[in-house]
Amino acid sequence: MSVQMNDTFAILIDTTRCKGCEKCVAACKEENGLGDDRPWRGQGAIDGLSPTRNCTVLRQADDRFVLQQCRHCLEPACVSACLVGAMQKTPEGPVIYDADKCMGCRYCLMACPYGIPRYDWDRAAPEVHKCTMCYDRVSEGREPACVEACPEEATVFGTRAELLAEARRRMAAEPGKYVPVIFGEHEVGGTSVLYISDAPLAMGWKADLGDQPLPALTWASLEKVPPVVVGMGTLMAGIYWVIGRRMKLAAEANVALAIEAAAAESGPAGEEADHD
Amino acid sequence: MTSRLGVLKTVLWASVGVLAAITVVRFTRGLGAVTNLSDAAPWGLWIGFDVMAGVALAAGGFVLAATVYVFGLERYRPFVRPAILTAWLGYIAVAVGLLYDLGLPWNIWHPMIYWQHHSVLFEVAACVMLYLTVLTLEFAPVVLEHPFFQRPLFRMAVKVLKKGTILLVILGIVLSTLHQSSLGSLFLIAPFRLHPLWYSPIIYVLFFVSAVGLGLMMVTLESLLSAYFLGHRLNREALAGLGLAASVVLWVYVALRVGDLAARGVLPGAIDGSWQSNWFVVELAWSAVIPAALLLSRRVRSSVAGLAACAAMAVSGLVLHRLDVSIVAFARPEGAGYFPTWAEFGVSIGIVSCCVLVFLFFVERFKVYEEEGGAAATPERAPVDPATAWSLAPPSFAPYRYSLVAVSAAVLALAFLPVRGASPRTTPVAAALAVDGRAIERDGVEPRNLVLAHMEIPIVDAVVGAEVPASLARLLAIDGNRDGTLVLFDHDAHAEREGGDPACAICHHLDLPYDRASSCSECHRDMYEPTRLFSHASHVTALDGNDGCTQCHADDAEIKTLETSTACVECHETPEAPGAAASGEPPLVPSPNDRWLPASGYMDAMHGLCLGCHQRRTLEEPARWGDALDRCDACHDADFGADLRALTPKRNSGGRTSVGRTDDHVR
Repeated sequence: MSVQMNDTFAILIDTTRCKGCEKCVAACKEENGLGDDRPWRGQGAIDGLSPTRNCTVLRQADDRFVLQQCRHCLEPACVSACLVGAMQKTPEGPVIYDADKCMGCRYCLMACPYGIPRYDWDRAAPEVHKCTMCYDRVSEGREPACVEACPEEATVFGTRAELLAEARRRMAAEPGKYVPVIFGEHEVGGTSVLYISDAPLAMGWKADLGDQPLPALTWASLEKVPPVVVGMGTLMAGIYWVIGRRMKLAAEANVALAIEAAAAESGPAGEEADHD
Repeated sequence: MTSRLGVLKTVLWASVGVLAAITVVRFTRGLGAVTNLSDAAPWGLWIGFDVMAGVALAAGGFVLAATVYVFGLERYRPFVRPAILTAWLGYIAVAVGLLYDLGLPWNIWHPMIYWQHHSVLFEVAACVMLYLTVLTLEFAPVVLEHPFFQRPLFRMAVKVLKKGTILLVILGIVLSTLHQSSLGSLFLIAPFRLHPLWYSPIIYVLFFVSAVGLGLMMVTLESLLSAYFLGHRLNREALAGLGLAASVVLWVYVALRVGDLAARGVLPGAIDGSWQSNWFVVELAWSAVIPAALLLSRRVRSSVAGLAACAAMAVSGLVLHRLDVSIVAFARPEGAGYFPTWAEFGVSIGIVSCCVLVFLFFVERFKVYEEEGGAAATPERAPVDPATAWSLAPPSFAPYRYSLVAVSAAVLALAFLPVRGASPRTTPVAAALAVDGRAIERDGVEPRNLVLAHMEIPIVDAVVGAEVPASLARLLAIDGNRDGTLVLFDHDAHAEREGGDPACAICHHLDLPYDRASSCSECHRDMYEPTRLFSHASHVTALDGNDGCTQCHADDAEIKTLETSTACVECHETPEAPGAAASGEPPLVPSPNDRWLPASGYMDAMHGLCLGCHQRRTLEEPARWGDALDRCDACHDADFGADLRALTPKRNSGGRTSVGRTDDHVR
C-alpha cells in the first residue's frame, strides 16, 4: 500500500480495552437510523451483523470482546466485484454503498473475505448493509459514531499512519501484552480497520488470509480479455479463410479434373463443364 | 407421437402455472419469502443453475456455429438452427432467471451505463447482452423466412443477415469464449471460500473447455429428444461425430482438471476421504471420465441408447460442476447450510418449461429443422395461411386443457406459498402467564420458594417442621428453559434486586429472535455455584492485570470480598446493562450489598422453584404421594446412577399454557 493510502482515515480497535458494553452498537444504530432489530435466519450463525446492525461486539474466549465491522480494505474485494460501481472506496478511506446504483446481484456478499455485507432478505426492494465508517461525519471532520461512543478508547479514529504509530506505541509501552501483530496492516493488502489484541484474531473465512489483495486474483483473468478478443477473432477468421480457400481450390481442382476427364472422353462435354 | 408431445406439453404448462404463482410471491414479498438464501449463502440455485449452468447449456450455439460456418463441416449443418434456437432461448432464460434472483431487478440495465472494467461480473454481463443480440440476429432469418414476413423489407433484412452470418458467428465465438470462461473467473475473488478441489487459478480455462464439451453433448441430447418427441429422423453418422468430438474435449477437460490439481499439489486432497473429495471424484467421473471413455467406443457412438446415456451423464454432470462451484463447495459458517426451497426449484423448472414451450412453438411453425424438419413430422397440418399464421387456436381443445392445467397448478402452488411474507425462525418459547402465587421466605436465603396461591395448604418448612410465613406475590409462569416447561418466576423481586427499571435490560436485551426475554441460564450460568453478573477475569484484563487490583480492592490489608471492594456503580456510573440504549434516567447509587447480590446457581434456581413444595406435599399427604414427589426422578428422566450433571428435567408435553406439569400442580 502506498503512502497516500496511509493518509486515509482508519479505525484502530484495541480488544484489550473493550469491555463489551456495546455502546458503539447503540451509537451506530442511532446514527444510521437502523431501527429495531429484524432478526433473520442464519444471521446468528455468523456474527450477529444484520441489516439493522452494521457493527456488533463478538464475545470470544476468556471474556475477550472484539468489535466486528467492515474492514474498509485498501483494495476491497467488494468494490472490485461490483459491476455497477455501487460499492466505492472513497479517497477519504471509507468503503461506501450506493443503493441507487445497486442491482442486487450480491456478488459483494460472495467476495468479501470477512463475510461482512448483509442483505434485506425480508424486503421486496432489498439493499446491502454494512458499516460506512460514518462517511458523512468523517467528511465533515468528525469521528465515526462508534468511536465517539466508546468509553474505554478501545476504538480510536485517525489517519492510517497515525493509528499504525499509535498501535506500535501501545505495543512498545507494554511489551508482552499484545500479540506482536497489527491485524489488518498487511492482511489482504491492508485494511482501514486495524486491530491489536492479546490473542490471535482470526475473523475472516480462513485463519490466514494472506497479504495479497484479492482484486489482483480477478485481474489475472481480466487482463487476458483483450488478447483473447484479438486472438480468438483472428484465429477464427484465419481458419475460415484458410478452409474456405482450400475448399475453393479443391472445388476448382475437381472442376479442372472433371473438365480434363470430360475432354479426354469427348470434346463437346467439356464445354458444358466449362459453363458450370 | 402426438400423445407423447401432448403429455410433455401438459407437464410443461403445469410448471408454468407453478412459476406464475411463485412469481407473484417472489416479487411482492422479497427473496426471503420463497428462497432459502441467506447472508451465509447469498447465491443459490437460481445463480448456480439458471445462470451458471444455463449459460453453459447454451454453449451448443457457438460450438455448432463454429463447426459449420468456420470449420466448414457441412454435415453438421442440420444441427445449427436448433442449436442456435436453444442458445437464444437459453440466454433469454438466463436473463429471466436473473430477474428473479436480482434483489433490484428493475436496475438490471445499470451495467450498460455504469461501466466497471475491474469487475468480472461486468464483463460477463456485457458479453451476455452482446451475445444475446448476436444470437437474435443469427436466429432472425429463421423467423423472417416465414410466409408472414413475405415483404420486400424483410427479405432484404434476411439477405443482409445471411451475408453477415460469418461476422456474427465469429463475434459470437469471441463473446462466448469470454463469458463462458469468465463465469469461472467470478470465483477467483473467493479463494478462501471455494474448496481447493474446485478453486483453481485457471478455473476460467476449465469453465471454457467444459462448456464446449457440454455444448456438444447438449446438441446431441437435444437431437435425441426431438427425435423422441417430434419424430425427426436421426442423422446417426453426424451424431457419432459429435460424440467423438465431445469425447476428445471431455478428455482435455479431465486432463486439465487433474493436471491443475497436481500442479498445485492439491491432488492428495482428492482422495483423502473427506466428503468433498468423494464428491469431487463422483462429479468428475460422472461428468467427464465415464462418458468420455464410453464415447471412445464406436459401438456406443452409433447406438441411440449409448449416445443418450453418455449425453445425459455429461450434461447432468457438468451442470453439477457449476452447482458445486457456486453452492456445494462454497464455504458457509457452521450451521448455516443451504438447500433450495421447492419454490426455488419451481422457478428453475418453470423457466426451463417456458423455454421448451417456446422451442416447440418455433419448431412447429418455422423451419428450424432443415429438410428433415417440422413439415415432414406433422404431415396432417394444413399448409400455413399467412393470415392465420400467428393464430394460437388450432381447432382442438388442447389450449383449454393446457390453460386449465396451468391455472390449477398456479392455484395449488399458491396454497403452499407464504403469500403473507416470510417470517424468521422463532425460538420456540411458551407464552408467559401472570399467576397469583405465594413466595415463601426461607430465612433470608435466596431463592425463595414459590407456589401457586390457590394451593390453600398450610406451608410448613420441610426441614424445621414449623409453619413459615408466606407473602402473596404476583408471579409469572415463564418458559425459563426454552423447553416448554413453565416455571414460577418472581419478576418483581428480580427487577427490584437488579436495580429497578434501568435494570430491565439485564435480561431483556439478550433477546433471541422474536423472544421477549433471556432464558434463566443466561444469568444462572454455572449449575452449582452462585454466580454474579460480574466477570472478574475481564476486569483483570481491562484494568491491566495485577497493577489494577487496587482500583477495586483499595485496601491491601483487607480480605478481598464483595463487601470490602469498590462498588460497581462507583466506576459504572450508569448502571445499565451492556447493550441497553441510553435511558436518560439518573444513575442509581445503591450500596453494593443491595444491588449486586449473587444470583443463585442454575440448579438452585430451578430446584428452588420446585423442591420446597414437593417436600412439603410429601410431608403433608404421605398417603397420597408416597415418595413420588420426593425422588429425583419425579422430575429427572435419567437413572439414579447417571451423572447428575447429565440429568435433564422432564419436558412438559402439555404445551404452551401449562404451569409445570399441569395435572400435578393445578387442580
